[in-house]
Amino acid sequence: MKKLLIMMLLILIALIGCQRGGDRAGGPPKIAFVMKTANNPFFIEMQKGAEQAAQRLGVNLIVQAADREVDVEKQMQIVENLIQAKVAALCVTPSGSREIVPAIDKANRAGIPVVIVDTRVDEKALSESHGKIAAFIGSDNYEGGKVAGEFLAKRLGGKGKVAVLEGIPGHETGDSRLRGFREAIKATPEIQIVASQTANWERDQGFNVFQNILQSHPDVQAVFACSDLMALGAVEAIAAAKKTGQIVVVGFDALAEARKAVEQGTMEATVAQSPATMGELAVENAYRLLKGEQIKPEITVPIKLITKENVTSQ
Amino acid sequence: METAPLLKMSQISKTFPGVLALDKVDFELRRGEVHVLLGENGAGKSTLMKILSGAYQKSSGEIELDGVPVSIKNPRHAQDLGISTIYQELNLIPHLSIAENIFLGREPSKFASVIDQRALVRAARELLKGLGLTVDPSARVKRLGIAEQQMVEVAKALSLETRILIMDEPTSALSQQEIKQLFATIRRLKEGGVSIIYISHRLEELFELGDRVTVLRDGRSVATCEVAETSKPELIRLMVNRELTEQFPKRQATIGEEILRLEGLTTSGLRDISFSLHKGEVLGIAGLMGAGRTELAQAIFGVEKIEAGQIYVKGKARRITSPRRAINCGIGFLTEDRKSQGLVLRLSVGENLCLPSVDKFTSWGMVDRNKEKLACRRYIQELRIRTPSLKQKVSFLSGGNQQKVVLGKWLCSEAEIFIFDEPTRGVDVGAKTEIYELMDRLTAEGVAIIMISSELPEVLGMSDRVLVMRSGEIAGEFSANEATQERVLQCALMA
Amino acid sequence: MRPNGIALRQNFLLHHARQLGTLSGLLVLGLVLWVLTPHFLTLSNLLNVAEQATIIAIVAVGMTFVILTAGIDLSVGSVLAFAGVVMASALHAGAPLPFALLAGLVTGTVCGLVNGLLITLGRLPPFIATLGMMSVARGTALMYTGGRPISGFSENFRWLATGEVLRVPIPVIVMIGIYAIAFFVLTRTKLGRYTYAIGGNEEATHLSGVNVRFYKTVVYGLAGLFSGLAAILLTARLNSAQPIAGMMYELDAIAATVIGGTSLLGGEGNVLGTLIGALIMAVLRNGLNLLGVSSFLQQVVIGSVIIVAVLIDMALKRRGKYS
Repeated sequence: MKKLLIMMLLILIALIGCQRGGDRAGGPPKIAFVMKTANNPFFIEMQKGAEQAAQRLGVNLIVQAADREVDVEKQMQIVENLIQAKVAALCVTPSGSREIVPAIDKANRAGIPVVIVDTRVDEKALSESHGKIAAFIGSDNYEGGKVAGEFLAKRLGGKGKVAVLEGIPGHETGDSRLRGFREAIKATPEIQIVASQTANWERDQGFNVFQNILQSHPDVQAVFACSDLMALGAVEAIAAAKKTGQIVVVGFDALAEARKAVEQGTMEATVAQSPATMGELAVENAYRLLKGEQIKPEITVPIKLITKENVTSQ
Repeated sequence: METAPLLKMSQISKTFPGVLALDKVDFELRRGEVHVLLGENGAGKSTLMKILSGAYQKSSGEIELDGVPVSIKNPRHAQDLGISTIYQELNLIPHLSIAENIFLGREPSKFASVIDQRALVRAARELLKGLGLTVDPSARVKRLGIAEQQMVEVAKALSLETRILIMDEPTSALSQQEIKQLFATIRRLKEGGVSIIYISHRLEELFELGDRVTVLRDGRSVATCEVAETSKPELIRLMVNRELTEQFPKRQATIGEEILRLEGLTTSGLRDISFSLHKGEVLGIAGLMGAGRTELAQAIFGVEKIEAGQIYVKGKARRITSPRRAINCGIGFLTEDRKSQGLVLRLSVGENLCLPSVDKFTSWGMVDRNKEKLACRRYIQELRIRTPSLKQKVSFLSGGNQQKVVLGKWLCSEAEIFIFDEPTRGVDVGAKTEIYELMDRLTAEGVAIIMISSELPEVLGMSDRVLVMRSGEIAGEFSANEATQERVLQCALMA
Repeated sequence: MRPNGIALRQNFLLHHARQLGTLSGLLVLGLVLWVLTPHFLTLSNLLNVAEQATIIAIVAVGMTFVILTAGIDLSVGSVLAFAGVVMASALHAGAPLPFALLAGLVTGTVCGLVNGLLITLGRLPPFIATLGMMSVARGTALMYTGGRPISGFSENFRWLATGEVLRVPIPVIVMIGIYAIAFFVLTRTKLGRYTYAIGGNEEATHLSGVNVRFYKTVVYGLAGLFSGLAAILLTARLNSAQPIAGMMYELDAIAATVIGGTSLLGGEGNVLGTLIGALIMAVLRNGLNLLGVSSFLQQVVIGSVIIVAVLIDMALKRRGKYS
């Protein structure tokens, strides 16, 4: 029995050993894409875009992500491990805008260029550690928040009570969206933000938190959620309270499910960021960098507000 | 009357890592007989029965049932073959009812596995009636006394259509009255054709109940004989291979000054207990179960909260609020249940021996292992603890040797007052004598002993004075000369 | 009876068979990875793996003590976050480095001691007491920081994570030191002896005059202390103290402890096994990253390894290979 097991193990090792030869040959450039997580529709679309670009360009793409979006330590470990695996270039969507800096330093030291996607790195932290990034690819979250705020203000006729579902505090993405939204609302003093609480980017928490808000502010007329998942949670909370159609819901990210909700009217609008384009551009630019071409240090992916009018045209 | 054997176990051997537990043991069981299995602790009785009941696998040997060779794979298989065991520690689920316990895993169901409660209770009632028991089958098991719980186990065995019933020390926790009841049940079972393997240390029971007896010693079968053709001395000789001329040692200690005095001690279960104890003395404490004897020991040892009264050790009033303080006062407590209260079974012999006295070997929080080892070696030698090494886990020792480890713990902590709670429960004749001798040696060295025991001969044989307890109070005190079985028992029973 | 020499040697092997088993598991894993990827068996990668193991390994030391007493501590991850933000805010307030480090360690220890007191004096089951602390410590950390990470520290402080001695990263040196001390404490000191005794049979230990409450409280305090230490290293590593740091670390620490052969029933196991357990988890994650395995499959693999490790352990136990 034991002998059999050892035999099988040896055969397995021999088989895999043959395979390993390929790893050393020149081959296509190896580019790693480290996302915040792989289990969120936004990042799934980003991954799809990246994979398409990789196939088109003949790049050997490795996509990795931590189990949980906010696990900065795991993300750092993944980056460290990929540096060990000697990838040619790294694309990263940082789990934490400051916490990613030590990992960027390590990549710099190993001479691996880093393309940052979606979430900005904290400028101060980066300059303090003399870290360098090759490019930032993403959309302007502040602008997106502002667009959403302006839409809401117009929709409510410049007057009313609004609730906000925030992302995880201290997150550059969520914070920017929030600042943009607040800025827009400020312009119409008769719109009042009656509640602003975090639902940690999650759908079930969006449900619970908004249900609680409905308890304390039954007269709330609109809700802005910093992500579609939280917005969809709020939509369900509204349905559970039998108030569908009475409360304006605006989300962010334009996930497929959110678009459907806009089409059906349970959501009023969502801000489109097109993660697929981001993924595609990231791999493309990393590839051009490796070929020695110059790339722009900042590439903005345009933002668009999806409403019932334009949802089908997408 | 010669009949073909129902069960034949031949040349059974069993090895554990480092130990040969059974060495080519032969055992035979006839239909409808009560066959007593006798032997010192560690002689291999339990191991042999665990092989028969499928809990262990034999290393070699043959088992034949009705002349057909069988290999018993697991307890379930043994049950299917009609072999059931009632262990010393009963295996009942306290929160379930009697009926549910009896049919656990085999509940009659109507459809979609909904349990048919009525059929369950009906079947249970019938079984209990057959055993002469009149309790309500829907009563919870935790409400029953130990004897009744045992009956439930018997009923469970019967419901499995048992042909061979193994009973491991069934009387160890029973009162005289309950034992009678149990024996009546066993006779009834026997008439019904069930064969019984009965493990016991009590020779009296053997003569009252047994048809044949097999004696095991050191993992070997020494002899099998008809009970009618043997005698107590002969069996004892077979078990220990030496003549036991006298069970109790002649006491040599001289009684010295007072070492412990209780004045008006009162706890939730005790009222106004006063007595004194002297160096070199054995103070026996008799009484029925629930009379407050163990509570008294716990109060002296700082486990029970003292509500009123005072304890004096060597003339000084001491507040004993925890075992640590009791130990600092020089008190050692050998609990009734050594496995759950006396020993840490997963630790080694050495670690157990030193548990109460690690401080002695510790400086700056670090344990001086050489010093510790020396001390342990000394007690292992002195107490003749049979263990391959200090590092042996205490769970691998036999019951008697485990008890000696507990005793060694308190010797190591240099206790001067020993409280023995049922020191010889579940211990065989040979080890019993050894424990008595140790008590005698301790008292000769000036130690004082409080001995709680349910066995009257032991109390009378060992004590210099006997206190009798009844419902939390001291009901009487007898000197060694005054104390007789009748007097003590009468005092304990008096309403 | 057999001659003592043989019995003793046998005893030694029996005593350490479990750790040898875990160690060979680690070696086999290493062998497989060596075959599968050229990047695994390089000095820089091995040091990288060791460094990645440190945080969980240090938290798992405390967990091992707790589990040896037949307890559990679910709060280690939250306590880590809390201790981290306290230390970080002390640093930002301009406190001298040793003082700030001490603040982190004390915060962790106090949380642990509170756990211990809830369990011993409050008689709460460890699961409940530490579950409560898990939420309280996390919430306090979030309130204290307003949910925002505290980041940007001096080079002196960051040296704790970035520094090297003879190419060995400082966290790895700290980890080895901690394990050496913990091994010594468990085998040679009274505290260690009582830790095993309490887990083996709490009542018998109490009746042997051991102040069980005191030692249990100390053990939970230790778990908190190690969380505080891990918090220091993690903060230095990320150059940021996050109130949401250390989520689910309690489960990783429990896994490392259990893979290392410590029984959840208490009284059995040792820290060497835990160190190997933590290394197995780190090597596994590292290897799966090197191989570019999808993050979903990674979770399946890690879970399976935990189950298989414990299955093998139990099978060996049943066969009586060791006690």
